[in-house]
Amino acid sequence: MGDVNVIQMPLWQLFAMVVAPFGLLAVVVTLLRRRIRRRSAEKGDPDWSVPQLEGAAGHSLIHRWDVRCKIVTIIVYSFMITAIRQMTPALVAIGLSCLVLIVARVSMTKVLMRILAIAGFITMFLLVMPFTVPLHKGDTVIVFGGLNWLQFSMRGFNLAATIAAKAVAITLLMEPLLATAPLPVTLQGLSRLGVPDMAGQMVLLSYRYINVFRHEARRMATGMQVRGFRKRTGVATVQALANFLGMLFVRSFERTERVFDAMRARGYRGLFPEQTLKRQRPADLVGAGLWLTVGVALLVFDRMIV
Amino acid sequence: MHISDGVLPISVAVGGYVAGAGLAAWSARRASNEDLPKVAVVTSAFFVASLIHVPLGPTSAHLLMPGLAGALLGPVAFLSIGLGLLLQSLLFQFGGLTALGANALMMGVPAVACGWFFQKYKGRTQLRQTIIGGLAGASGTALAAVILAILLATGGEDFFGVAKIALLAHVPVIIIEGIVSAFTIGFLARVKPSLLMHSFRRPQIPAHG
Amino acid sequence: MHQWESHLPSQEPKGHLFRLTNLQFRYADGPQALSGIDLEIAADDRIALVGQNGSGKTTLIKQLCGLLLPDAGNVSFKGQDLRNGHLERSRLEIGILFQDPDDQLFGHTVIDDVAFGPSNQGLASEDARQVAQQALQRVHLADKAYQAPHRLSFGQKKRAALAGLLATNPAVLLLDEPTTNIDPRQEQVFLDLLAAFKGTLVCVSHDLLFLYELCRRAVVMENGSIAHDYAMNDLVAQRSELRSHGLDFSFRLMPIDNGEKNGGPAETRLAEAQRESASAPPMLELRGYHFRYPDGTRALTGIDLSVPVGERIAMVGENGAGKTTLLACLLGLLEGNGTYLFEGRPVTRRIRRDLWRNIGMVFQDSADQLFCPSVGEEVSFGLKQLGVSKNEIRERTQEALSLVHLKGFEQRVPLHMSGGERKRLALACVLAMSPRLLILDEPSAGLDPQGEEQLLSILGELDVTLLMVSHDMFFVDALTRRTVVMHRGSIIQDLPTDAFFKDSRLSNLNGLAYSFRQRCGKAIRELQHQHEHSHHHRHLHAHPHEHDDVVHDHLHKHDHAHRHRFLHSHPGEEQEHRHASRQYHDHPHAGEHGVHDHNHNAPKGDHKHSGEHGPHDHDHTGHDKTPHDRSHK
Repeated sequence: MGDVNVIQMPLWQLFAMVVAPFGLLAVVVTLLRRRIRRRSAEKGDPDWSVPQLEGAAGHSLIHRWDVRCKIVTIIVYSFMITAIRQMTPALVAIGLSCLVLIVARVSMTKVLMRILAIAGFITMFLLVMPFTVPLHKGDTVIVFGGLNWLQFSMRGFNLAATIAAKAVAITLLMEPLLATAPLPVTLQGLSRLGVPDMAGQMVLLSYRYINVFRHEARRMATGMQVRGFRKRTGVATVQALANFLGMLFVRSFERTERVFDAMRARGYRGLFPEQTLKRQRPADLVGAGLWLTVGVALLVFDRMIV
Repeated sequence: MHISDGVLPISVAVGGYVAGAGLAAWSARRASNEDLPKVAVVTSAFFVASLIHVPLGPTSAHLLMPGLAGALLGPVAFLSIGLGLLLQSLLFQFGGLTALGANALMMGVPAVACGWFFQKYKGRTQLRQTIIGGLAGASGTALAAVILAILLATGGEDFFGVAKIALLAHVPVIIIEGIVSAFTIGFLARVKPSLLMHSFRRPQIPAHG
Repeated sequence: MHQWESHLPSQEPKGHLFRLTNLQFRYADGPQALSGIDLEIAADDRIALVGQNGSGKTTLIKQLCGLLLPDAGNVSFKGQDLRNGHLERSRLEIGILFQDPDDQLFGHTVIDDVAFGPSNQGLASEDARQVAQQALQRVHLADKAYQAPHRLSFGQKKRAALAGLLATNPAVLLLDEPTTNIDPRQEQVFLDLLAAFKGTLVCVSHDLLFLYELCRRAVVMENGSIAHDYAMNDLVAQRSELRSHGLDFSFRLMPIDNGEKNGGPAETRLAEAQRESASAPPMLELRGYHFRYPDGTRALTGIDLSVPVGERIAMVGENGAGKTTLLACLLGLLEGNGTYLFEGRPVTRRIRRDLWRNIGMVFQDSADQLFCPSVGEEVSFGLKQLGVSKNEIRERTQEALSLVHLKGFEQRVPLHMSGGERKRLALACVLAMSPRLLILDEPSAGLDPQGEEQLLSILGELDVTLLMVSHDMFFVDALTRRTVVMHRGSIIQDLPTDAFFKDSRLSNLNGLAYSFRQRCGKAIRELQHQHEHSHHHRHLHAHPHEHDDVVHDHLHKHDHAHRHRFLHSHPGEEQEHRHASRQYHDHPHAGEHGVHDHNHNAPKGDHKHSGEHGPHDHDHTGHDKTPHDRSHK
């Protein structure tokens, strides 16, 4: 440990530097989650007699971008961000993502929800890595109040923070990627890009039936609640939940057969009807090119700085 | 637990995609093309099931169920899990886009392995099916945790600590998964044993017309 | 809609759309589902397919659209065997409407789904959408075209599913229980749509009133084979036949006799209990109760409701009126604002958490309530939560099961039981917990008439405070004394059930248009009545009669024939006829018989009368319609 810079700090600093920020973060995340959940159910009823594409979604640059270009660009760009190693470019990437968010004018609530969803995993990195990374020459560690076994490595923290920044930068792009066109259009775009058509149809079908089964599960859960069932830690609860799961599977497998019957009865023969897609314009390609250039620039920047 | 974006080295993320896509294609070919919509509907059932929380002392754990999926679906489970993860990252915020391939490997490979294990050893009696089902459920999650740890460790020695902690964090989940799977399989063995045969199999002649 | 003359199935041969010959079918490792089915369906037939649950109706219509293929025998459609290539081509000419619309609406949006059929017919995407749009217009859903299916109400889903079929312009529509669980207004919409449909119609339903309005031919199934093939009028007219097939829904048609409604023992007991507790606080009371969903939708506004001990209350209202929300609030699953008193005490957090001990609820769909692998475990589940001893669990389980006539079912698997049995099991699960208040949500949904009658008699005997949500006016009338009408989240009327039935203005206001039911019910009642008095029958009963100057009283047989109104079985009204299958039957005569003479020495055959009512014919004029009807019970 001779080559490591050690900074001694009193024990209460551990609290100030680690426990307090994370505690605060946890509280904020919980509160936000609760608030969002309360607000997330949509308000008002838009006019459903027109396609959503023209109706509710908006007219930003991203919305008008050809869906194939959009998918390819954002995915490739996301991988580029993954390849970033330094903190500064990662922060720049977050800035760029925010810019895209502003241009795309997507629902900030949903963006926030996506960020909150990854919060747990990222927090684990932020909490664990500073204390577990092996120490290298020239690393700075902070030792709190003489607790020598607990060493907070600045390098580890930096690494974890970079990961967090990259994760946030990519997550921020998910809404512009997915919410600026109706799901079927996005999936058609995927199928034009060589993903088997069936994959897209399966996504749509699953999405449809997730909603059906969720309602089913909720009704069943209510049925159990009315008969006095409350979740507790114990075998009885697990037994009841297993019955619940089993019943859910039985019902869903039976429904699967019926859905399939209904599809066959309406002429399904292993293929879904073809959909048409708008032609792409040169401007779409220019946009893709520009964006990817920015990505490459970021990577170059990342590798240049030491 | 799902790996989020930005964690894995780019080579692993891309490699995960390639391997995941290959396995998904293999898995899709295990079912007849006509049956794929059924796989989609079943996937949504597993999706909903995975939202269920089991109380565990002061906190709760939600079920991952790779083992159970494998036991009920067989090789198609890989496709189903991949689809579920895709949906999750598309619509429900969890899981990263770039880590999708790796996540699919982490959950899908144990599912297929446990499905094979369950079919091979399930025997005929309800008790035996219950026990084997429990083993399959527990080992499915255990295997998933191991793969998660390996994937994390590809980031270099800096990540070993995180990998170890992630592995440890799965221990209680493994136990719960085992018990829940055992009870669920036991329930199905009594109520609807036909579900414990793989529903989707390639040589299946479309039942009627 | 119904012309009397049109009930004769036409005898002249014409092109048959479907021809089923000696059809056999068995599910994999199941019992024989269909055996020896011979059926011909003409191009403009409108067939009601009736029979008890499990008699093979759904299996039969799946055969008609090729979703199942026969093990033996064949199904031909338009003269060709319905298999392979012909089946593929015919698929879109035969539309089948499933019981659960969620099975059928697999599209991402309603219009995607409706366009699925037309696209499979080979229409280009734009044209298919246009056709779909038109079909949606027909079912009055054009304003929901781009809505996701899971956001529609049940009735709307059902209509969307129908639009998906109509869009392909089918020659045949097969309907499986089209009207279960939808409110009367939507039912009327359905009826209008189906009545306007020009092609062949095959409709499976337990709702004979609905079928009566829609269909002209009735095929009765029993144990996988066709027991009878009637004209619709003929079927409903024959109670004895209905009864033997477990389809007697006539108990529904009994006129509402006000005042002394089925004064069962429970009824009187309750009345007493109520008198005693007149001073005690009501079991539960809501005052100025509001509920708002998190998204801001107002589900309940200003609810005032008081449920005294022993009261039996019906809650009616259109789909989406807030009934389910109110029930959830009563059960403590949701928490609104306002006063909620349970037995005089305000419902605090702690009391709310324990409401389940006092309030039991039977769900509309038994599948939502039954999740255990055996009946015994199912019933004891709630008791275990109550924390009672093992012995008591056993005792109370037994008691509850025998109460619903399911004694000895402990080891059975709930999932494998019939709909009626499952409903009663769900009831037993709730009753075993001895709730103070029993809530029933649409108890009659999906039951066959026999199951309904059984459930009705069980519920009628119960000694419990009852709150029932139902669209089924017969259940409302038979089981409750007070009716609460909900509309758009508030209670607009709270009145005695009798008064509710008299207030037709109210029913219309609420969209609870039962007029077609009343109309059909009346027509059927008349038919049944006519029948019971006019068909060839034999009685054994005592009544005084004269022989010259002697008047005496003894049991004797009546054996007489008289005018028949059964068009299908009679060459003409005034001609002599015989009915092999129902020439003789016994039925008690509760009413008086006019004094008449009869010949004690004449051989039996001489009793035959044809057409004209001779002096020998016994006199029915003294009969009161209703008691006569009732004596059948």
